Amino acid sequence: MTGAVTAGRTHRWLFGGFFWIAASIIYAPIIVMIVFSFNSSRFQVMPFRKFTTDWYARVFADAQYVEGLINSLLVAGSVSLIATAIAFLCAYSLVNSEFPGKMLVTVFVLAPLAVPLILIGISMRLYFVSLGFQPSLGLAGVGQVIYVMPLAILNLRNRIAQIPKSQEEAAWALGASRLRSMLEIVLPNCKFAIAATLILTFTFAFDEFVIAYFLTNFSITLPIKIWTSLVTGFDPAINAVGTMVFLFSMGLGICSQLLLMKERKR
Amino acid sequence: MADRSPAGNLWYGIVPAVSLVAAFFVVPIGYTVLLSVQSPETGAWTFDNYRNFFSNAVFTSALLRTLWLSLTVVLLSSIIAFALTYFLVFIADPKRRVLWLLLLVAPFWTSFAIRAFSWQLVLADAGLITWTVEYLTGYLPQLKLLYTMGASVLGFTLFGTILISLLIFSVMITIDPRLIEASTDLGASRTRTFVEVILPLSLPGWCIGAVLTFIVCVGDYAVPTLLGGGFRPVLAQLMLSILKGTYDLPTAATFAVILVVLVALATVPLLAAVRHVRFQS
Repeated sequence: MTGAVTAGRTHRWLFGGFFWIAASIIYAPIIVMIVFSFNSSRFQVMPFRKFTTDWYARVFADAQYVEGLINSLLVAGSVSLIATAIAFLCAYSLVNSEFPGKMLVTVFVLAPLAVPLILIGISMRLYFVSLGFQPSLGLAGVGQVIYVMPLAILNLRNRIAQIPKSQEEAAWALGASRLRSMLEIVLPNCKFAIAATLILTFTFAFDEFVIAYFLTNFSITLPIKIWTSLVTGFDPAINAVGTMVFLFSMGLGICSQLLLMKERKR
Repeated sequence: MADRSPAGNLWYGIVPAVSLVAAFFVVPIGYTVLLSVQSPETGAWTFDNYRNFFSNAVFTSALLRTLWLSLTVVLLSSIIAFALTYFLVFIADPKRRVLWLLLLVAPFWTSFAIRAFSWQLVLADAGLITWTVEYLTGYLPQLKLLYTMGASVLGFTLFGTILISLLIFSVMITIDPRLIEASTDLGASRTRTFVEVILPLSLPGWCIGAVLTFIVCVGDYAVPTLLGGGFRPVLAQLMLSILKGTYDLPTAATFAVILVVLVALATVPLLAAVRHVRFQS
């Protein structure tokens, strides 16, 4: 069965071939990295020497990687909870309330999407250092909330707008307060979208390092530790770290998309 | 309607989000703009920082390089993404196409730096490509693939292709198949159907993707550092070295403002053009 265009044979082979070539180019270097992560040689050159899982053990024995991982999990976890909660309130109001300047407010809260991340990092650093604050994990977390919140608002706004208004109105007619109808009707109706948003914002915050690099000084997150290893010196364990982070984030990203699709279908 | 609700209008749900963006985004950027028009020594109002920027050959060539790199990437990614999405929506098996799409875009959610690093393994002088050529032909080629603009373009283009495909797909999939049938029934070739039906209807998605790709390209330093190298820096690399090295804050602020202007100059005409096209059709 084919799509709407009645594609000729060559037509189909041409575009199909192009698609699979593009997909292999996207995945090829990652597969090379995964293969090297099991290579016993210190040097990332062919040929493959011997299979080993030593590099993985070494990552978990390295205090800096472990500290970075713990910091990243804590920061990304808090960022995801805070950003999703605030985004839910904002998205609910944008969909269900009328007030002057609504369009302007929408553009305003989505504005951080329209600037490069480096700008959020650099301007927050310049401003807060001038106020006498020292860069810290907390400040980096705030910067990341600014980065992921617009994405969360977009996700949730789309979902909330799909919920039939009649359900909420029935609850009001039966005497439920606005807050209660929101908690008992809207919230359960978009639980998958909320879960997807939590996962998505967590993933973005977990991998984010431009903002974190500018807004921290001494405490490191995992991406900062990885970045330092990448630019300062040769660390053979980096393939193992990269493999784990890649699979972890990709798994989370796919989960969040599947959750979103699941709710859209119902 | 909203005003029939018991507790009235719930507009104040926007307050936390608006305050956060105001306090941690708008105010710091405003401060940065102010800092860029002050003299570092006296604090007096001046455009000296901008004059210094545009009279410094290293800075202006970085600016042009950033612009060239970003536009090339947007162009290449758009062409590739249109071909890929066209395949997914109109040629691939409809039952499988979401799976193929997920396969294509899955790396989007993973770290930029790690993906750039994985390309180092392939492109480096002792990397996979050189090794393969040597293995097959028996002589060691001097390819010099890593630390070039081409490597930067490659790294960004893969990212842009994924992002733009994702956004075009969400629009192209909503095109009514009957429109395509009507077009082919009336004798239009596949190329003509694409140019006159599919392309205009996909532009809104493409536009957002192109703008976001451009924004990432002008602001990222991971790909230019890991793949492009340090000899021909882009703006973001210079910004980083100024802020973490010489600590010349007004110059860093000037860079930041120029970056914003660059993004605005590229974004506004594109958005306006797409709105124009949409109203026409």
